[in-house]
Amino acid sequence: MKKTVFIFAISLSFGQGLDKMDILISDLEEILRNSSRSFQNVFVEDFTGLQ
Amino acid sequence: MLDSYPETLISIEWHSSSFTPGNSDFDIPEYSTRASLYGVGGIPHTQWNGVEETVGGYANGNWEPFMSTFTALYNSMVDDETPYDISINGYIGNEVSYDVTITMDSDMSSSNQKIDVFLVEDNIWSYWTGASQYHNARNVARDWLLSDDLTISETGESEFFTGSFNLSDSWNSDSVKIIAVVQNYSSKQVYQVAQVNINDMNPDIDDDGIINVEDNCVDIFNPNQEDSDFDSIGDPCDPCDNLVYVLGNLNGDVLMGAPILDVFDVLQLVNFLIDSNSHECQNDIMNINGDDFINVVDVISLIQMIMTGEM
Repeated sequence: MKKTVFIFAISLSFGQGLDKMDILISDLEEILRNSSRSFQNVFVEDFTGLQ
Repeated sequence: MLDSYPETLISIEWHSSSFTPGNSDFDIPEYSTRASLYGVGGIPHTQWNGVEETVGGYANGNWEPFMSTFTALYNSMVDDETPYDISINGYIGNEVSYDVTITMDSDMSSSNQKIDVFLVEDNIWSYWTGASQYHNARNVARDWLLSDDLTISETGESEFFTGSFNLSDSWNSDSVKIIAVVQNYSSKQVYQVAQVNINDMNPDIDDDGIINVEDNCVDIFNPNQEDSDFDSIGDPCDPCDNLVYVLGNLNGDVLMGAPILDVFDVLQLVNFLIDSNSHECQNDIMNINGDDFINVVDVISLIQMIMTGEM
């Protein structure tokens, strides 16, 4: 029983650690994705009336 | 405003024959096509990124009352995310040759997406009757060089467009610029725009001694232009040797330089039908019977090819 609880506790803490790692990796992936995105210039067409 | 945002605000000034400074050549035939794209009626009319417009006059050519409106429009649009990056390069010889590369860093459908390339001349000092004053006309449209469909739609894909034009003796060549626009012709939304002064273009992006329009790998250094499969795509940027990935040779194996068609290719084709996974070199060689569908009939056709020794 003790062994079972011990193993469960270890796997739980590992699981939480892995969850945190997953979150960190996911955050890093999001940062990398955003840093490589292109940003738009603005285009204005002036159909002018001056003569 | 153009001088306030020289890198991120790009403009074209279009003139109809009715609204152009006296004795000028500002009006070009392409005006009506471009104006009809947006249903331009009242003049003056500004169109922002293809989707926001202002219509209305200004006293004696004074744009100042509109500055807050224009600034708000600019601020609402600048730095929006877009999947497209545009690079314009080229060189000036007897004529001006240009090349435009569109690259995607995220996926977007290519449906109704087009690339347009315009020629403008900036800072033309001219007399404006309506304002009774001289005025610097900015980025006056001189030509509409190209309008073509975009076919790329996925991250990492690039598409290349080239062309050339002659400079007019009446233009100031120091002020001539090329503007390239990616626009959806259904929604009119502009997704990216870039400009370059023709004197700032780079004729050889990868500096390998081969100018862009003649380089079989435009952005990878390959001075010897090796092309093992003679498909005009240089080896450094050609992941698929077309002499190996022939019809049916899905696993790309060869024996003494000759592609091998065998049961392993059949298994690759069956795997594709099951899980739809393939690599880019397989995409064009799975349609064995050439009917635009990849299905079990192609498996049968491939087996037949192998058994009869057809290639």
